[in-house]
Amino acid sequence: MSINEFIQKLEAEFEDMPQGTLKAETDYRSIKGWSSMHALIIIAFIDINFNITLSGADLKSTQTVQDLYNLVQQKKSA
Amino acid sequence: MITLNNKTVLVTGASSGIGRACAVLCDQLGAQVIITGRNEAELKTTASQLKNKHQIIVADLTNENQLSELVKNCNNLDGLINCAGIVKPLPVKFIKSKHISEMFEANFNSTVLLCSELSSAKKFNNHASVIFLSSISSLHPYIGGALYSASKAALEAFCRSFAIEHASKKIRANVIAPSLVKTKIFDETELATSEEEMKNYEAQYPLGFGEPIDIANCAAFLLSDASKWITGTTIKMDGGLLLSSKK
Repeated sequence: MSINEFIQKLEAEFEDMPQGTLKAETDYRSIKGWSSMHALIIIAFIDINFNITLSGADLKSTQTVQDLYNLVQQKKSA
Repeated sequence: MITLNNKTVLVTGASSGIGRACAVLCDQLGAQVIITGRNEAELKTTASQLKNKHQIIVADLTNENQLSELVKNCNNLDGLINCAGIVKPLPVKFIKSKHISEMFEANFNSTVLLCSELSSAKKFNNHASVIFLSSISSLHPYIGGALYSASKAALEAFCRSFAIEHASKKIRANVIAPSLVKTKIFDETELATSEEEMKNYEAQYPLGFGEPIDIANCAAFLLSDASKWITGTTIKMDGGLLLSSKK
């Protein structure tokens, strides 16, 4: 999955998010209305699409959408 | 004073958190403890805190062969504390069949099968006490907790049937339903959300978050003869959370 596809699909999971909000460099925690539900959605999204279970510590080590994508790539190749 | 002298107590999920606290307290109150869990190294850490004669049985309760071995190898019981379980938040729209299986096998099926096998093998002494760890979320939901809450609600219903089926032998069964307790699961939740969010959440608890020892104290009471007239009930432990109107 390309980074653009990753962004598009993740954005679609955040139902209340206007299209185009997420970019590779977006610091996802600074998104308006950010809550723990969004964190859960990220963890579940990555679980379903990549069969990778992220821990809380994994998530904490990321800041931007690009970081998330890189983490998935890294875990996939591990 | 609560004493567990001359009682043999099996604690599942004894490798960490609430299970470990229960095992250590039961030991301090005079019980002979049998501890079980998947992680041998962590079980040994628990065992290092036990003073009385005890037994360590490494077992993954979701594996039926290992569960049967556990039942075969443990002595007759005066108490069983079912602490083994998992928490994995998942919003409803992501739920697939594999998630339901994973959650229910760990939190419901394995506990039910353990109770069934112990009962069938006549491993419960008369007057034994069985405790199930549930959660207030079985009645008071949280976001992402659909499967976890459902597995705990199922366990509570199971406990009530277990209680009436075993009452003729004065064997009792009760549920402890805590809200958030500071365990490894708590630390994991804090990492996935944020310290700030957890602090805001704690502000809703008149008595703050719970500690594993708080749950262990209640379990010790339910195991002891001091609670001999209590069966089939659920004891909610929430630090006053559900009393509070603060949001």
